Amino acid sequence: MSKKIYDVAIIGAGVVGTAIARELSKHNLSIAILDAHSDVGDGTSKANTAILHTGFDMVPGSLESKLVARGYHLLRDYARETGIAVEELGALLVAWSQEEHDNLSKLQAKAVENGYKDSVIISAADVYAREPHLGPGALGALYVPGEWIIDPWTPIVAFATQAKLAGADILLSTAVTGVTIGAHNTLHTTNGDVEAHHVINAAGLYSDEIDGVFGIKDFTVIPRRGELMVFDKLSRTLISHVILPVPSSMGKGVLVSPTVFGNIMLGPTAQNLDDKTDSGSSEDGLKFLREKGSKIAPELLDEEITAVYAGLRASTEHSDFQIRTHNNKYITVGGIRSTGLTASMAIAEHVKELLVSSGLSLGAEKMLPAITMPNLGEAFVRPYQDEKAIADKSGYGEIICHCERATRQEVIDALESPLPPTTLGGLGRRTRAGLGRCQGFYCHSELRKMLEKK
Amino acid sequence: MKTSQVDVLVIGGGPAGLAAAIELKKSGVQSVRVIERERVAGGVPRHSFHPGYGLRDFKQFLSGPKYAKKYVESALTAGVVISTLSTATHFGEKNSVQVTSPAGIETISARAIILATGARERARAARAVPGKRPAGIYTTGSLQQATYLEDLAIGTRAVIVGAEHVSFSAVMTLKHAGVKTVAMLTEKKKHETVGIVRIALGLWYRFKLMTKTEIVEVLGDSRVTGVRIRRNGVEKVIYCDTIVFTGNWIPDNELVRRGGFAIDSTYKSPIVNANAQIAGTSIYAVGNLVLPIKAADKCAIDARVIAKKVAASLN
Repeated sequence: MSKKIYDVAIIGAGVVGTAIARELSKHNLSIAILDAHSDVGDGTSKANTAILHTGFDMVPGSLESKLVARGYHLLRDYARETGIAVEELGALLVAWSQEEHDNLSKLQAKAVENGYKDSVIISAADVYAREPHLGPGALGALYVPGEWIIDPWTPIVAFATQAKLAGADILLSTAVTGVTIGAHNTLHTTNGDVEAHHVINAAGLYSDEIDGVFGIKDFTVIPRRGELMVFDKLSRTLISHVILPVPSSMGKGVLVSPTVFGNIMLGPTAQNLDDKTDSGSSEDGLKFLREKGSKIAPELLDEEITAVYAGLRASTEHSDFQIRTHNNKYITVGGIRSTGLTASMAIAEHVKELLVSSGLSLGAEKMLPAITMPNLGEAFVRPYQDEKAIADKSGYGEIICHCERATRQEVIDALESPLPPTTLGGLGRRTRAGLGRCQGFYCHSELRKMLEKK
Repeated sequence: MKTSQVDVLVIGGGPAGLAAAIELKKSGVQSVRVIERERVAGGVPRHSFHPGYGLRDFKQFLSGPKYAKKYVESALTAGVVISTLSTATHFGEKNSVQVTSPAGIETISARAIILATGARERARAARAVPGKRPAGIYTTGSLQQATYLEDLAIGTRAVIVGAEHVSFSAVMTLKHAGVKTVAMLTEKKKHETVGIVRIALGLWYRFKLMTKTEIVEVLGDSRVTGVRIRRNGVEKVIYCDTIVFTGNWIPDNELVRRGGFAIDSTYKSPIVNANAQIAGTSIYAVGNLVLPIKAADKCAIDARVIAKKVAASLN
């Protein structure tokens, strides 16, 4: 049997890899996405801070600046089109010291250099009028109305779903172990060989290792741990903007941000590690977060903690994105940090151009199948609040996860979707079920049963 | 949207809610409806299989599930309407509550509302205990569910965090599951159960009670391999494959808080007067929604007393 040779194989089914797959699916190309995990978005993408960045504070002129600015508009429009939750909160970069206050005008000038002209410096009184629960001592802030929050998980599922419906093969639990370069590339994987003319490395934390497989050493991924505390939904009324730190000689601070799921998030810490699997939280990290948080919003610390997460950012020794075309029709998309969610669709366009430069013939454009994603956002109507939905399917009226008010029918929908979850974590990222304050005490056994039956 | 009217609406079908509902019917209140979010009413005792329930209210020595069943049956016999798979999502206008169930969305107005939503143990996440997230971490409640309802293999050596009454219930459940309790830790100076329970179970199951000790890290990648603890500034590792976080209760106060009612700073329970009433409202709070934690039978007996007062206020 002659094996299929894909036009493009993408290693990594995170937000970047799936966005590239979706972009290429607009053409008559055969595409494979490979991922070592059993689900899409199960690596560094799942611990994103979930901010839709304008790119106001990027390094002007960098590739990251360009792609974040473009990606912002693309993802915003895509979210509207597919029903992904976005809340237009705006950010406040709050200055707590004279040095930080002095830096606000520099930040504003930098924003303009990055093509963002809507930021304004506001007084301390205005800061407290907007955010009455902030701790004492704020001297003023840079208000960036375009910084919004987004559901960080659904875009990945949406990209992958559209690619899949358009014909892409999503090969999960498939880790790349080697490559043979010949007339085309043969990727050796834990799940057999995958042959492709063009290969894209979007392997996140492991992008340097995949480069190594191709004999390339351009950068080293230095996993940078970010610990996050997620506070109970009852805290959500305390904060109504993304509260960002002002960079100063005291180092980078932490952010306090509402999430579209209705929580408040505090973090992340930033600690370089050598171990790409060390996603545990640390006593020092949590202590640091508490100290920072109690200054920014003291009442927040009185609220219950729903979860503590530690994510690893795929940072490198370089400050910019590391997107490069190599010989043998191989492209590396590395060094993508937390801005990668916002930039994802622009990165995909950029990679498509690079593929064309490497000799890929795109052929005619085709329409992607239209999709509507389930709304996980608290600011929009959810099935348990929707009389029509419940009248149509009574399962939308059966709340199975009490903390997140996720219903049985939403779980069924996820399990019957084109890209069903394989783990409780994956189910949670599609429905919110099991992610709430009781951390699955009430629903995990039922959810596990439903998952296994599938 | 469907609307309906009852004399008294009880939110939560555990021992306190059901005992209150039964008492209301006995006191001549016409229509009493209980809203329960689970498939079956009965509350926490449904998955607490060891005996010790019903001493004060039924004068019997019952297992949790039998006790829960007895309450549900008594309530139905008394003429209480129990709606299961029904979640009270928020307060509406004029003493009403909005409820979601597979039948749709319903606004239930009542002359009085009794909140009996109970309490839960703080899980590991809520205590922000550092470390990775391996398997083998429970609360007493999830341990009981896994042991009695799902018959899952638990492990071999357990460390219990907390030394409250419920913590000793965890010891018994672990024993049933074939797990040895190697240590019980508390940051407090002393355990918080009845002395006799601590002495009897400590002797019987032979575990070490370590006071003024905090857990500082969960060890293990895919499975718990131990806990790092600290006592008087000295750290030490206890090897175990199971950790049970017990007690440290938090009331299920979401409805109360979303309703804008005040909570107390110690327990986060609604602030109520001597009649268990939220001042200036016809809303009452009973059972473990009002902490400190009490045994089920005590919750039920207290709720009966309140129910009598509620009934009297309606006549």
